[in-house]
Amino acid sequence: MNHDPLRPDPDALLADLLRADAQKRPGRLFIFLGMCPGVGKTYTMLRAARQRQLEGVDVLVGIVETHGRRETAELLEGLPFLPLRSMEHRGHNLREFDIDAALARKPQLVLVDELAHSNVPGSRHARRYQDVLELIGAGIDVYTTLNVQHIESQVDTVRQITGVTVSETVPDSILDRAHEIELVDLSVDKLLARLASGKVYMGERAELAATGFFKEANLTALREMALRFTAEHVDRDLEEIRRARRISTPWRTNARLLVGVGPSPYAESLIRWTRRSAMRLSCQWLVVWVEGSRPLARADQERLARSLNLARKLGGEVVSVTGDNVGKALLEVAQERNVTQIVVGKPNRRSLLRDLLTDYVVAHSGDIDVCMVRPILANSRLARTFRKPEAGEAPHQAREYGWTLGISAAIAAVGCAVFAEAGYVFVGLMFLLGIVFASMRFGRGPVLVMATVSALMWDFLFIEPYFTFHIHKWQDVIMFGMFFVVAMCMGHLTTRLREREQAEIRRQKQTAALLRVTQSAALATDPEAGLREALSTINELHRAETALFIRTSNTDRSLSPTPHGAGTFAPSAREWGVIHWVYEHRQAAGRFTDTLPESQATWFPLQTSTAVIGVLGLHLEEDAVLDFSSRVSVEACALQLALVLEKEQMVEAATRAHLLHQSERLQRTLLDSVSHELKTPLTVIQASVEGLASCPRAAESPQAEYLQELNTASMRLQRVVNNLLEMTRIEASVVKPAQEWCLLGDVLQEAVNIATTGDVRRRHPVRIDVPAELPAVQVDSHLLAQAVANVVHNASVYTPDGTPIEISARLPGGGGGAAADSKLVITIADGGPGIRPGDEDKIFEKFYRAEGSPAGGTGLGLSIARGLLRAQGGDITAGARRDGKAGAEFVITLQVSLLAEEEGKPVRAG
Amino acid sequence: MSTPPRALIIDDEVQLRRLLRLALETRGYEVHEADNGARGLSEAVFRKPDVILLDLGLPDMDGRQVLLRLREWTETPVLILSVRDQEDVKVAALESGADDYVTKPFSTAELLARLTVIQRRAKPAETPVLHAGRLSLDLSQREVLLSGEPLRLTPIEYSLLRLFMQNSGKIITQKQVLTTVWGPNAADQAQYLRVYVTHLRKKIADSGVEIRNEPGIGYRLQVRAE
Repeated sequence: MNHDPLRPDPDALLADLLRADAQKRPGRLFIFLGMCPGVGKTYTMLRAARQRQLEGVDVLVGIVETHGRRETAELLEGLPFLPLRSMEHRGHNLREFDIDAALARKPQLVLVDELAHSNVPGSRHARRYQDVLELIGAGIDVYTTLNVQHIESQVDTVRQITGVTVSETVPDSILDRAHEIELVDLSVDKLLARLASGKVYMGERAELAATGFFKEANLTALREMALRFTAEHVDRDLEEIRRARRISTPWRTNARLLVGVGPSPYAESLIRWTRRSAMRLSCQWLVVWVEGSRPLARADQERLARSLNLARKLGGEVVSVTGDNVGKALLEVAQERNVTQIVVGKPNRRSLLRDLLTDYVVAHSGDIDVCMVRPILANSRLARTFRKPEAGEAPHQAREYGWTLGISAAIAAVGCAVFAEAGYVFVGLMFLLGIVFASMRFGRGPVLVMATVSALMWDFLFIEPYFTFHIHKWQDVIMFGMFFVVAMCMGHLTTRLREREQAEIRRQKQTAALLRVTQSAALATDPEAGLREALSTINELHRAETALFIRTSNTDRSLSPTPHGAGTFAPSAREWGVIHWVYEHRQAAGRFTDTLPESQATWFPLQTSTAVIGVLGLHLEEDAVLDFSSRVSVEACALQLALVLEKEQMVEAATRAHLLHQSERLQRTLLDSVSHELKTPLTVIQASVEGLASCPRAAESPQAEYLQELNTASMRLQRVVNNLLEMTRIEASVVKPAQEWCLLGDVLQEAVNIATTGDVRRRHPVRIDVPAELPAVQVDSHLLAQAVANVVHNASVYTPDGTPIEISARLPGGGGGAAADSKLVITIADGGPGIRPGDEDKIFEKFYRAEGSPAGGTGLGLSIARGLLRAQGGDITAGARRDGKAGAEFVITLQVSLLAEEEGKPVRAG
Repeated sequence: MSTPPRALIIDDEVQLRRLLRLALETRGYEVHEADNGARGLSEAVFRKPDVILLDLGLPDMDGRQVLLRLREWTETPVLILSVRDQEDVKVAALESGADDYVTKPFSTAELLARLTVIQRRAKPAETPVLHAGRLSLDLSQREVLLSGEPLRLTPIEYSLLRLFMQNSGKIITQKQVLTTVWGPNAADQAQYLRVYVTHLRKKIADSGVEIRNEPGIGYRLQVRAE
């Protein structure tokens, strides 16, 4: 159907809504949880899937590892397979689950084995559980398997029990999304027996075997973990059901946990502990990071970003505040957010700083509980990967050390020159001055080294006895000690002051940049230039390049495939996939994230509370890192941009709507006045002719024939004028369907009344055949009657006198049942010569007149009929009669609402 | 027979007014004219017409406004002159108190027939028994006879038929039927009306009376020509 683009078809809109609704309904996730490999998870999953298949569910095997087990392989037979995707990685040909194919195939249930699996680099997602999340997001049910040691929050416990560090973990939040967790349990003895008989696949798990993973004690502990974990989930489900029935508040209001974290490697373990605890209490939990004035080293930054990402992944709320007194800042957040319990790491070894923090928190927490948790070091694999990037800073540092030593030497040289005149105390002060200057420029390390070197030089060169580190006089010993302390403190304080200043500048820069982004984008008279300015601000701040993609308009939701002109880098064609993913899923993806990390840039959705406006890409230099605070700042900018863009699109849409409304009104007025001007004289002519004809003796007068001709001509003129006006109305989209309940018999009768004025009725018998049981339908009766009338009139003109015209209506789908949207078919058949083959569609064209048509017609009638029907979402086609008789048949199809017969009971008011 | 009936034509088209005057005067009407709404209103006050013919498209004000002003003080029957494709306007006018309408270009015979019908109804001839075709309806007994035989009707069907017969020949909008028979809250429940009309039509099928539907507007009870 080719509708006028200006007027959305209500049925299509409704269908869209329904489809969107269906999309919104997420699929269900079923997890088959086991204590360790070999308990039969895959086997159980396949049996369950076969059962579902028998029930008629469309099951698809996404990826299943049989590990050569015969029983499992047998179960796979007969289940439809999704071919795996081959991927090239470092010369190896690897096979991976094909998420795109699964989404395209859209089965009801997909089997995806091994939830904790890490995908081959180059896949869309880094991890398989992300694939699974996307599947359920698309409304597909998923069966998957998981071992308990792969659950993020259980990793510490597993390490404590077995000594094995598990690297492939899945976040706990995905388990919360599970519709059902089914525990696949096996007694330890039986498992060991299966192990002994070689039924358990060990290949990839050689390391587990080597560390004695499959020891009886370990297995018992893991079994207990799996059982307890499942029990906790069952308990929580129950609790949730109970709560949902009673009240709607999502959290218990009486508990809220807060955990303070820093860049320390212990943070992850604290976050996991808090999450577990919060889950037991089923309460909210916050992760607070207090940003001090000292900038973090690169490794620290990465570790912190990782910890905070983990917190987000586990479902915690991340709050970042600034302040040098960590304890005070934590307590402030705690009080502000009504926290009931603060979690801090228990100092492991004696550390002055940590003790101060915990003491402070305990002393000032008032009625908030403080919980000290023994943290466990995050796994060493990660720590190793962090060391590498620091090497890049070394040359820079070495230069600074060089400088400080050079300055010390220079001072020593000058000191030698003036030493005889001024005395060694003066030289000492010169050294101190040098340290102060140096600390204003260089880092902490070089300054402290300089302080030490200076003190030693002073001692060695200028304090008696010379050229030894020995000091004779006790006053000199004290003076040396004082010098050393003063030098150290000065160096330390000055650098700290400078660092704080720098941090302040950085924060100010970020705030100012955000403000500038908002202002330049929102206040610019030329939106394009404003956007360009806003993006260049982001570029400056992060030393990056940006690209911007915006949706076409707020009615058409598709993303424009060309980057916005304000961007500064052109993403390669390969990026389009990730851009689209970000737009669809409203989540950041690309470089530095877990989704499509191989991408060239990091992509952020431009998201407001109601919609995604577009996607912002940030392309950092090759060796740069996107740290947490930069990411937050980019996200803030993205939000501002989104708001501005949304406003712009709304203003644009409003203007367009206003213009449209204006032009519609104008057209309507014009039509009405033209209609009035044409019809008034016609009325006068018609009435005059009638008046003359009704005169006594008019019939015998010689003018009777003239009168007859006048009458015919005026009738014809009326028809032409009506047709032309109707056509104009349709083309100007002034025709607005107004649906109402009516009886089809009435409508068809009215159509015949309109069409068969004068002697037509005598020339063509019209039969209307509407089944008695046809219920009332909801249509625009006036438009439908007009359309049918045009077809009937057409038939009466093109068929020989005396041939009947048959009109019938039926509901091919039957009238019963849910009657919201049924197809109505009206057939108008005549007994004329029929339609010339090849003309079936042409006759609906404007001004088309079939060869040999009688004179006196505009060729508009049928095209008006089609226009009127399309205006209400229907259509009309023509062809030969299907009952075999000679003649033409016109078939009108229309989607209508039916009145269900049992609802036909009247509502009595009063 | 003492005084001829007075008709007032409110229309801005001179030719149409002249034509209508001609047609009405031959039928014994005393005709007055007004070429805009304001003049029409004052003429209505001075001439006290028995029937008013009102064009919906007037130069100075909307025909419906004229109608509303008229209905503030008089129940004089009003016939609307309209052009095609203004169903919503027609329905609005009928619901604001117009008695019937004709669509331009109209036939003179039809116009005169409508005028007669709406004037007849204006006279408060509250006879206890209504007649139409072979139907008679006794208001006091709540009894309907078809060719002398009692006709069994449900209470709703009776109310419907009574409404149609009281307004025989005159258009009644769907909303008017619904609010009269079902009450003021039922104005948007047109689907039930369809069902009852179908039932009623079956019962009075051979009475010589038909309930005609004018799509988009309403119903009219008509006595079939033999």
